[in-house]
Amino acid sequence: MITFDNVSLIYPHSLRTIFEDLSFTIEEGEMVLVIGGTGSGKSSLLRLINGLVPHHTGGILAGDVTVDGISTSLTKPGGLAHLIGIVGQNPAHGFVTDTVEEELVFGMEALNFAPDVMRKRVEEILDLLSLAHLRNRSISTLSGGEQQRVAIGSALVLHPKVLVLDEPTSALDPIAAEEVLSILHRLVHDLGLTVVISEHKLERVIGFADRIISISADGKAEIDIPEEILKRSPIAPPIVHLARALNLDSVGTSVREVRRMTSHLRDFTPLASAEQKDELQTVVAIEKLSHHYGEKVALRDISITFKAGEITAVMGRNGAGKSTLFKSIVGFHNPTSGTVLVAGTRPSDLSGRERLSTVGYIPQEPSDLLIHASVEKECSASDQDNGLEDGSTFAFLKRLTPTINGQAHPRDLSEGQRLSLVLALILCSAPDVLIMDEPTRGLDYQAKALLVDTLISYARNLGKCVLIATHDVELVAEVADRVVFVADGDIVADGPTIDVLLSSPAFAPQVAKVMSPAPWLTVKEALRGIASATGAESSE
Amino acid sequence: MKTTADIYRLSLQSKVVLTFTSLIALAGFLWPFFYTGNLHWIFLIAIAACVLLLISEVGIGSIDAKSIALLGVMSAFITLLRPLGAGAAGLEPIWFALIIAARVFGPSWGFLLGVTSMTTSALLTGGVGPWLSYQIFAAGWIGLLAGALPHRIGNRLIRGVSEKFMLIVAGIVAAFIFGLLMDLQFWPWVLGSSTQLSYIPGGSLSANFSRFITFHFASSMAWDIPRAILTSALIALTATPFLQALRRTHFKAAFVAPIEFRKRVEVRG
Amino acid sequence: MKKTFHPLTWWAGAIAAAIAVSLADSIAFNLAVVGGMSFLVYRSNKFVIDKTSWSGGLWFALKISVIIIAIRTFIGIAIGVPVPGTTLFELPILHLPDWMAGIRVGGAITQERLFFALSEGIQIATLICIFAAATSLTSPHRLLRQMPVFIYEFGVALVIATSVLPQLVTSASRIKTAQKMRGIERRGWKGVALPLLEESLARSLDLAAAMDSRGYGYSRQRSRYRREKIASSDLTVIAGALALIPLSLVVFA
Repeated sequence: MITFDNVSLIYPHSLRTIFEDLSFTIEEGEMVLVIGGTGSGKSSLLRLINGLVPHHTGGILAGDVTVDGISTSLTKPGGLAHLIGIVGQNPAHGFVTDTVEEELVFGMEALNFAPDVMRKRVEEILDLLSLAHLRNRSISTLSGGEQQRVAIGSALVLHPKVLVLDEPTSALDPIAAEEVLSILHRLVHDLGLTVVISEHKLERVIGFADRIISISADGKAEIDIPEEILKRSPIAPPIVHLARALNLDSVGTSVREVRRMTSHLRDFTPLASAEQKDELQTVVAIEKLSHHYGEKVALRDISITFKAGEITAVMGRNGAGKSTLFKSIVGFHNPTSGTVLVAGTRPSDLSGRERLSTVGYIPQEPSDLLIHASVEKECSASDQDNGLEDGSTFAFLKRLTPTINGQAHPRDLSEGQRLSLVLALILCSAPDVLIMDEPTRGLDYQAKALLVDTLISYARNLGKCVLIATHDVELVAEVADRVVFVADGDIVADGPTIDVLLSSPAFAPQVAKVMSPAPWLTVKEALRGIASATGAESSE
Repeated sequence: MKTTADIYRLSLQSKVVLTFTSLIALAGFLWPFFYTGNLHWIFLIAIAACVLLLISEVGIGSIDAKSIALLGVMSAFITLLRPLGAGAAGLEPIWFALIIAARVFGPSWGFLLGVTSMTTSALLTGGVGPWLSYQIFAAGWIGLLAGALPHRIGNRLIRGVSEKFMLIVAGIVAAFIFGLLMDLQFWPWVLGSSTQLSYIPGGSLSANFSRFITFHFASSMAWDIPRAILTSALIALTATPFLQALRRTHFKAAFVAPIEFRKRVEVRG
Repeated sequence: MKKTFHPLTWWAGAIAAAIAVSLADSIAFNLAVVGGMSFLVYRSNKFVIDKTSWSGGLWFALKISVIIIAIRTFIGIAIGVPVPGTTLFELPILHLPDWMAGIRVGGAITQERLFFALSEGIQIATLICIFAAATSLTSPHRLLRQMPVFIYEFGVALVIATSVLPQLVTSASRIKTAQKMRGIERRGWKGVALPLLEESLARSLDLAAAMDSRGYGYSRQRSRYRREKIASSDLTVIAGALALIPLSLVVFA
């Protein structure tokens, strides 16, 4: 269905060849996953399929890309719209009109479809993607998952044979992502659509990928079945890392498979870890905190403390009260009743440098804080704000990501680098409490690993308090000491990460599911646990 | 060689239509000095028709996706700025953004941005009225002029401080031009006929002219001076980062980037 | 389900009402028209389930109108033409050169001058409210969809602008909150405008790619999904609005 024949690509104003003699064929009805580090050219590859590269972007394309026998060198993307549907990362960015129904027909009107055909297709897509109840809704009032479904629908309405999705879930929260992926799953199986998709969180899609195209940093790419690619690829979900670490004969792509392969390892009785924690100092003390927005109760009589040197994950549905809790801690508003003390003072009384060195907050979109034209300027502004020596923020950043270019515009950085920049801006003043809102959205494994290291060393080595709001259980398993679960304005669970995550199968990370009942959440813990268990056994 | 689409540029035919409709619009602004009857209603209709003619003409060349997406999103951005401004004076904060954006994307696109942002903000912030088609022309002209400002004098590229200065001057001029044009269209009808400043149908050119100057001076003090101060201050404050952001986008949008298809590429080092 | 009018109906009605208002030039007539429009919008808004930015257009315009009338009245009495009549109070006079004879800053404020400035403000505010009411009664999106195909591109630009706007409003408030939570106090207006501009520009590039992929500009011809029909109720509304014109002439002229 899709053939790349010796494809190489050079963008205008660049001397770099993005791919070198890339050749592969994707068959009809196949679901192919594209993986690769940030900047490896995943998006370029996807956009080559419908000719956006080079018709829209410019550039030199050597070799040939054909879809269903049509070469993209001869046809503009619009001419392939009936053959290839393409859906971008951020659904909201691709909408032209304001209501669901109008959005679905936009492409058909532009391509001069007959009105009765349009009406039939619209009904069909509304049913297929369960959008019928939303047909007259204004798109801006829809949830992220619903928006992405509309975006997929407006591609499918042209009856393409190929659907291309560029990180369709990276801007979504996990619940919305789940919604979108289950729809995709159905499309692949029921319609026999050829699907090409790139995705950071492999564990989400690996189960229904037929083959993987893995692009390495040097522009080489290989295509093979998941089991083969994942044996070597540095980009892999936790269970694959587990399988590799345990030297299993093959890697599995689902919890079930790996669990079957590791049954012999779970025979040991794990030793109870007798880690005794020192009494930690309280940094955030919240007593009887309630907050109302008009009639709406956002927080109900909450009392909790957060300690120095401790990383706490705050979990819960959107709208459960997480952000109101954070707003109270940073002093964004005065609580309706109750008290919040951060390092002994009321946060709303703080201002200026004192404020910056007491609470640090990193929003969901880190770039909301950036207004300067280069990384260096951003850093030197932060030196000034915090009263630091010139260049100290930049030096801090260099320690986090040695490869960062100081002259680069902050908006041109990758998601991971941008988060590092914002981390540096905020951590350089060493706030007593660091608060992060959904930090892993759009991050690849590498960037996530860096984030984990940074947070752990900040909490452990500097003895600071870290709070993270997240839906990402894998992240929680990696970094958090403690999990607080918020629902409907109340704290419904609060305890060590292991206890909270293992008590509910829905929140268990992949490794824990494989290793259950052993209480290991991450690959590292599992290895350590197995080693000590086998050690104990052999010494008996 | 094949290239990607250019930023929108008026075709020759569109330029002719633009000139023609602009002359009619100009007549619509200036008729009270030259004609003895009341042409207010006629020009109201004529200018609305000119706006329609103009936007249908520019559409025929078909505006490419990049230009139109930028146009739509920037119009929304400008509309959002409008209520942020002085509120009552209403129109003010749109000028600085229009001028800066037109500077980066050129006169033709600047003209369209003036037209679309004026229309959008009128629809959204309650500004539709008989004056709208006059305002659309005025905004289009300002976008056109801002986009047509020179990029180099001799061999010297105008960037940095000199560019900012030029834009500030353009902002002040635009604020006064807009004020003058709005007064011209308001004058014959809004003042009624009873005052000493009112338009005298059939009156002599000099009599009407001096009445208008006085009327304009009065309203200038109230509207144009604050508008000019606000526009130039906003340009001074935001020109550098805004120009930078817009130019980076202009670069990323890859207008007129060469497209080439080859059998093989020579692999370099 | 509420019965919907043809999108052109209320706009045609608004134009007729605007003409009538201009001809009548009477405060009472203006107030009556605005009152009637407000009633219609109030009644139709009761049925609105999906509140968009449009349905509240008239209320926004009414607020703006109060400000416009206040400012115009103030400027009208402070700077302008002396109007003879009953003096209400005196302001200090600022003398201007001879060539500007006829204009005065300050001076005697007569009842007539006040009335004149007030009615001028009301006239402008009325026109704004009439069209804002039309916007509230039919989403301009529906109107744009009925635009003749020859202004398709322009229509698309307006549709994008009006669709993106609510999302930009959300982004602006998100940015403001983020900065405030971070403890950034001094940046003010520019601190929000710049990230917002960057986000808007990034959005426009994504949008352009999406439009190209979906066939925008590829076909010379375009079709239309839905053509709305003019019903007798539409004609009634338009006829009613047109009737205002002779009414304005007969009653007030």
